[in-house]
Amino acid sequence: MTPLLKIWSAYVRLTARWPSIASIVPFIPLFAAWWIVTALEIFPRVFLPGPGEVWQSFVSLTWKGILPEYLQDSIVRLAVGAAWGIALGIPLGIVIGMSSRAHAALWPLLLFFQAIGDIAWLPILVIWFGYGLVTMTAVIVYTVIFPVVLNTVLGVRSIPVNMHRAALSLGASRARVLWEVVLPGALPNIVTGLRNGLGYGWRALIAAEIIVGTSGIGFLMFDARRAGSVVEILLGMIILGILWYMVDSWILAPIERATGQRWGLVGR
Amino acid sequence: MKSLTIRNLSKTYFDLYAATHVTAVQDVSLEVGAGEFVSIVGPSGCGKSTILNMIAGFIPLTGGEILVGGKPVNGPGRDRGVVFQSFALFPWRTVLENVAFGPKMRGIGKAERDRIAHEYLALAKLTEAAERYPNELSGGMQQRVGVMRALANEPDVLLMDEPFASVDAQTRMTLQEELTRIWQAKRPTVIFITHDVAEAVFLADRVVALSKGRVLEEIAVDLPRPRSWDALHEDARFKALTSRVLQLVRSA
Repeated sequence: MTPLLKIWSAYVRLTARWPSIASIVPFIPLFAAWWIVTALEIFPRVFLPGPGEVWQSFVSLTWKGILPEYLQDSIVRLAVGAAWGIALGIPLGIVIGMSSRAHAALWPLLLFFQAIGDIAWLPILVIWFGYGLVTMTAVIVYTVIFPVVLNTVLGVRSIPVNMHRAALSLGASRARVLWEVVLPGALPNIVTGLRNGLGYGWRALIAAEIIVGTSGIGFLMFDARRAGSVVEILLGMIILGILWYMVDSWILAPIERATGQRWGLVGR
Repeated sequence: MKSLTIRNLSKTYFDLYAATHVTAVQDVSLEVGAGEFVSIVGPSGCGKSTILNMIAGFIPLTGGEILVGGKPVNGPGRDRGVVFQSFALFPWRTVLENVAFGPKMRGIGKAERDRIAHEYLALAKLTEAAERYPNELSGGMQQRVGVMRALANEPDVLLMDEPFASVDAQTRMTLQEELTRIWQAKRPTVIFITHDVAEAVFLADRVVALSKGRVLEEIAVDLPRPRSWDALHEDARFKALTSRVLQLVRSA
């Protein structure tokens, strides 16, 4: 056992120094399995290309400028949609969370519209706004906004009443209480909402690009299907996973570490 | 600091589930002088926290009046500082920022309010903890911060709602001794709510025994200050006072 423990201990120390290694290592067996299966040609190459071919297609699409352009289009669409979703969702969540009247009036509507689902809006949105940025933004906003609103409401309502009372007794105005107590108190839940919202939004975007797109990663994959290029479909799937991984570990996780985890409101 | 006057205070509310009117506080009158320390003691459900919540302005009263320095109370305000049983510190603010919160709300600049906060932190021997977050502190330390946060805002009246009920027994005794020391240094007007008779007597100039929403009796505590548990827990006068209050509260 001792040599194994030594290797494990060395690995723990290594990942403590370079945390990114810990996020790459679990992919090694998966990657190896993919490589072996394709090298043995268990399935025909046209159905399941190997890592080498996907890499070649990545290089050539990047060289031609198609991939950077599509990638940019997808990211800009997600960013615009997410920004609107957040800008509308957080204030709405705070209003519903703080006012029982607003809660009574809007909560059933929220649950109703949440159930309709983003893609179900596409047919009517295409008729209203055509095949463009407006339609795709609308779908993403629609997807992002529900998790953001629902989690913001949960966050606002989870703040102990004594926290409001403490601030008021220390001389805070209602507006200051909103800024000093309600927003930071709800922030851990808001981040959870963002994480869910962006995750759903990213998937909705790909679906929207497949259906109404003329560019973007979703369009790349759908276009590849028409051409029968499994290589490009696989490439698109891998890019989706990597991009989400980057958004999560470079943007969302650091926010969580600096807020809820630091304050002891969320477990590490 | 200012005086606190409570005249014929009452609180009744309608219990929606039981569909009856419930009287939580009935015709309570109390005069607390500026710089006086008064404990209100009674069993759970006697209305003591309701009285404190009305003084703090957290809940409306249904009869009588509450005056701070002669002016009627209307909602929460910085003239009445509150220390909560649950501490209610802001988890997203450091200890220093928590204590500086009141001065910040008054519009005092960063340098000056940090100076004030450091002064109060030093008073409770919390200087080392200034840059830490509340969740990194023990319960006793957190409540020291809670007391200092209220005091640093220089309230006219300090309202304490069973502040030491959720810390362990040893820490509680230390906190009680520290509170008497700090009270002597700053001399705020204090209303201290507790169900612990010994605590009520140990801390206060006067103990108000409460039961079923009514004042049973007021007992003056003429024990010398500074007070310490070492000196008092075998003291005959202290024992006589606590057993008297205990009898009152239990007989009602």
